[in-house]
Amino acid sequence: MFRSNNYNVTARIFQRQIRTPAPGTSFHCARRFYENIVPSCTIYDAECPDHSFRKFTEDGQYLISFSRNHQDLIVYRPSWLTFSCKEEDCDGQDLPLKARKFESFFSQLYSVPLASSSELICKDFFLYIESNQFGLFATSTPQVHDAPAIGGAVHGVPSVEKITFHLLRLGDGVILDERVFRNDYVNLAHSMGVFLYDDLLAIVSLRYQKIHIIQIRDSGTLVDVRAIGEFCQEDDELFLNSSYQCTANGDRSRQHHVPVDHVGQSDNHNQPSPENSFLSGIKQRMLSFIFQGIWNEETDETLRMQHVKKKFYFHFQDYVDLIMWKVQLLDRHHLLIKFGSVDGGVSRNADNHPAFLAVYNMETTDIVAFYQNSVDELYLLFEQFCDHFHVTSKRSLYMNFISSHSNNIHVREQVRSNKNKATSLPQFVKKMLSSLPYCSQSQSPSPYFDQSLFRYDEKLISATERHRQCTDHPIKFISRQSNTLKFKIKPGPEVGTADGRVKKISSFLFHPFLPLALSIQQTWSLQPAVVNIHFRR
Amino acid sequence: MGSILGDLPSYDPHNFSQIRPSDPSKSSKMTPVTYHPTHDRTLPPPDQVISSEAKNILLRHFYARSEEKLRSKRGASETESLTPEQVRKHPRSSTSDARL
Repeated sequence: MFRSNNYNVTARIFQRQIRTPAPGTSFHCARRFYENIVPSCTIYDAECPDHSFRKFTEDGQYLISFSRNHQDLIVYRPSWLTFSCKEEDCDGQDLPLKARKFESFFSQLYSVPLASSSELICKDFFLYIESNQFGLFATSTPQVHDAPAIGGAVHGVPSVEKITFHLLRLGDGVILDERVFRNDYVNLAHSMGVFLYDDLLAIVSLRYQKIHIIQIRDSGTLVDVRAIGEFCQEDDELFLNSSYQCTANGDRSRQHHVPVDHVGQSDNHNQPSPENSFLSGIKQRMLSFIFQGIWNEETDETLRMQHVKKKFYFHFQDYVDLIMWKVQLLDRHHLLIKFGSVDGGVSRNADNHPAFLAVYNMETTDIVAFYQNSVDELYLLFEQFCDHFHVTSKRSLYMNFISSHSNNIHVREQVRSNKNKATSLPQFVKKMLSSLPYCSQSQSPSPYFDQSLFRYDEKLISATERHRQCTDHPIKFISRQSNTLKFKIKPGPEVGTADGRVKKISSFLFHPFLPLALSIQQTWSLQPAVVNIHFRR
Repeated sequence: MGSILGDLPSYDPHNFSQIRPSDPSKSSKMTPVTYHPTHDRTLPPPDQVISSEAKNILLRHFYARSEEKLRSKRGASETESLTPEQVRKHPRSSTSDARL
């Protein structure tokens, strides 16, 4: 009776009573209910406080927002609209006036000042440690361009006087620990320069070309594990210092040298003097890996030297000039590092610059793989094992359901058709691999973005949290199974002001599991943002 | 032994001694047919331990490719490197009998 048309919620509930889902699909069957429970009701222009709302935490417990002056953190708890209705036909009634208020849906927990007077909270940066309900935030002073490259810094990378990472317990807003980086540069936009895996943080200091691995303990302290860049092994520095002392004969510059701890906290100026001609540890590993690979390619000993000269020494300076752009952890011991030229490191559009991806084992300090980002071999691995690049931690279940071309047939078909339509295969490969290394927590786990449940226009809205151009048309979510329109996200009754050409950008915050979403439209000027609340009535 | 399962054998005659038949009129104190293997080809080696690979499949691919690249063609160092498959099984003392 219900077989062919089991798309409504009643039929699904009956099915759930009498049928056990196929093995391994109980989660998927339960998720199908999201096709029936959708945020179809919209409250336009809700009265809400003038904060910039950042995101819902992955477990749905908190809504993170920052004050307009970027100095305070305000955390809300998502609740739900409740009201009573004494009429006979309650469903047909309009919503009460209090539904228009933001406070009916969210209750404020606390407001904590994070940034002092000269600093601003970086509102694009937020990482959530789900196991302990900790949040990581960043504040920084303004950027200084054209900073002199002293103390081992790289030319061309801007400098920030002080970047502070704050670890907060989100339950009550207590600041547990801080980490300060001085005269350094970490790419904080969209949390690109920091990767969270389980309880390990990998922070890339672009200016000093170091990867700081920091562990977040359950008590809330940040503990430095290692700093990779100049030195790879923990005792490299000790070894080099002791050999400096042996060889230096009353050399004045060496006498002023202060041993530096691996911690990013200390002043980064006191590094081994730039006069030493050693390449940094990570670069040595990279060059030796490349050399060995090229050396082994040619078996004939007479031709080998020519081969190595052509492929390696000819490009030697280019390899030496590469800098680390971005890093992610593949598991607790392996890093995926993106190398590129200095120009591409800070700019947004890095398509024209060559880039390389390397896999580095932190325990053995070996480079395991090194590929240019247009190589088919790496693309095939990415195509087959995309989910192994998109790691967060071993325990988060929701990551299995964030649609990627490795876990979803519809996304895979889309990628295949794009590949067939692509005019140039290396360009296509480059474009696909440009998403590596992955940015942690950059995709919303909301089931409404699940491609096996809904079909929607990816250019207008997607799981990746980015601001988009505001569109006049409503964004439609169409159920995959029944091919019917389930709900729409409309930007608002009027979009655009009287002059009609004001560009608005919109961003969407979806709750991870409730049928609740916020869509925020704002202009570049300081006008308050328009917030619409989409929920299931 | 019960009608649902049929007359399947067991290696231990004392198994299924606690089973209560669904139909109380039929007494069922039958011991199952016992089966003893007549050869030891299917026994695991006494020192075998099966553990899961710590590296995920992506990393295994990276390591396999790098070993191909770095392996010297002269073959002298080929014997040195253990392939991941060989490393996975470690020697261990024999396991106890499995309980049903």
